[in-house]
Amino acid sequence: MALLELRGISSHYGNVQALKGVSLHVNEGELVTLLGANGAGKSTTLKTISGLIVPTEGEVLFEGKPIHRAGPEAIARLGISHVPEGRRIFPGLTVRENILLGASNRKGVPRKQLEKEADEKFEIFPEIRRFENALGWTLSGGQQQMLAVARGLMAEPKLLLLDEPSLGLAPLIVQNLFATIRDIRKRGVTILLVEQNANMALSVADRGYVLETGTLTVEGTPKELLGNEQVRAAYLGGHHG
Amino acid sequence: MQILFDNLQVLFQGLALGSIYSLVALGFVLIIRATNVVNFAQGDFAMLGAYAMVMFFTGLEWPYWLAFIASLVAMAIFGVIFNYGVYYPLRHRSFLPVIISTLGASIFLQNTVLAIFGPQPRPMDKVLAADGITVGGVFLDSQYLVILAVTMAMVLFTYVFFEHTLLGKKLQATSQDKDMARLLGIPVALMISITFIYSAVLGGLAGVLVGPILFVSIGMGSIIALKAFAATIIGGFGDVTGAIVGGLLLGVIESLAAYHISVPYKDAYAFLALFIFLLIRPSGIFGEKVSEKA
Ligand SMILES: Nc1ncnc2c1ncn2[C@@H]1O[C@H](COP(=O)(O)OP(=O)(O)OP(=O)(O)O)[C@@H](O)[C@H]1O
Ligand SMILES: [Mg+2]
Repeated sequence: MALLELRGISSHYGNVQALKGVSLHVNEGELVTLLGANGAGKSTTLKTISGLIVPTEGEVLFEGKPIHRAGPEAIARLGISHVPEGRRIFPGLTVRENILLGASNRKGVPRKQLEKEADEKFEIFPEIRRFENALGWTLSGGQQQMLAVARGLMAEPKLLLLDEPSLGLAPLIVQNLFATIRDIRKRGVTILLVEQNANMALSVADRGYVLETGTLTVEGTPKELLGNEQVRAAYLGGHHG
Repeated sequence: MQILFDNLQVLFQGLALGSIYSLVALGFVLIIRATNVVNFAQGDFAMLGAYAMVMFFTGLEWPYWLAFIASLVAMAIFGVIFNYGVYYPLRHRSFLPVIISTLGASIFLQNTVLAIFGPQPRPMDKVLAADGITVGGVFLDSQYLVILAVTMAMVLFTYVFFEHTLLGKKLQATSQDKDMARLLGIPVALMISITFIYSAVLGGLAGVLVGPILFVSIGMGSIIALKAFAATIIGGFGDVTGAIVGGLLLGVIESLAAYHISVPYKDAYAFLALFIFLLIRPSGIFGEKVSEKA
């Protein structure tokens, strides 16, 4: 049984249809990437999974149970952590507080334990440790991105949804980030990764899907996707691979 | 020497009066931050608190302390009702329908109280039986002292609650980005409910405290709310510290101006101060401290 399964999902923004019958699955322990051009519906897919959007058609199954009507708060408590596009750091809270609140989906964990876990996150992202007590809005875009991932990890998710985590980061930081994503995955977290940086994403993924204007067009292993002419032309910058 | 004492006396009264504005203004700001909406019934929370006190203490003749606590508990319950009756059904709409809804609630509350208690203003007992104390020539009225002490305690409590507890942080997170808060598993509806409860208790407390000074009347909330609203603007719209400082400042300005210039125009000075602030510093004392990054 897949950990996550989407069955014929359609999602709308008012009258605008963003997803048209999307079916995909993510197995336990897998790292799956979702590729696609701007406006293809990648973020919408993640929002539908995390409950920010209620699909107009189809089902989202998590551990075999339908969750698409549960609402984001309940879905977070089931162990799905969504690090959304745009980072969405709480501007008026400190870096440490932002991280601590990442654990809001877990009930009854003592504050002390959470503080300890926050310290562990600073070990994963040492660049933001010295801003521990700075307000969220004072961080640079890249630092906010790291903070967003650190906060997402505090949920101890079974499934981590990452929406373009490399966006706006310097190449070296991107390398580090993907190394971190590999580590997170090694620790048994299942990941659904949305990326524009297809080369990077495919280098860490087990499988990938390509989304085009709301419809899934290609599915396969990184090797298959890298070998697909259409995919190469559209997302991998020509024939250099 | 006497002039100094008199001024200190007026300053003291101004601070006490200002404390009342601060409490109501704090309630204003907490709701503005959580819902982006100005609650026009905020002053009526004070009025309701005062009438709850009249009912429990004068009506049912409960002991003062019990009536005091019962009034605050009643306000907490009222906060929940207000949230689900006035705000919650319109939470997905723009701010305008919600503001109109709070205006309607204000009118409804005033008329309901009018129907039950009648138009006659009610006197209320002071918290302490003692008149007050004289310190170095300045007479400190006991009720004013109580107001100052309780306000200080509430401000301190609010600070600790919001800045040093995870629940306080979750409330702040909710007011800063609701969807993100939801994604983290923070129960946003509950957080907003708590905000309304807290706000209603603050307002009710202000009403119970100011009752012995102003008399308890249907319209008492409106004038307090106007001043408190002015205080939030003077302090910096939506700023917690600003609300407290703005309230105190307004109380002091009003009292000093009334003493030195003329008493009948007492209420006008607050709005004159507001007017001047809007001209020279429209963002308020603490405004524009946090800017948002794209
Ligand atoms: N809030 C919204 N209201 C209306 N339409 C929207 C909204 N958000 C997205 N859309 C539309 O839905 C479609 C899918 O958008 P989505 O954000 O899922 O794309 P995406 O694949 O994440 O793109 P990007 O790579 O630019 O982030 C687009 O056509 C977009 O215009
Ligand atoms: Mg997107």
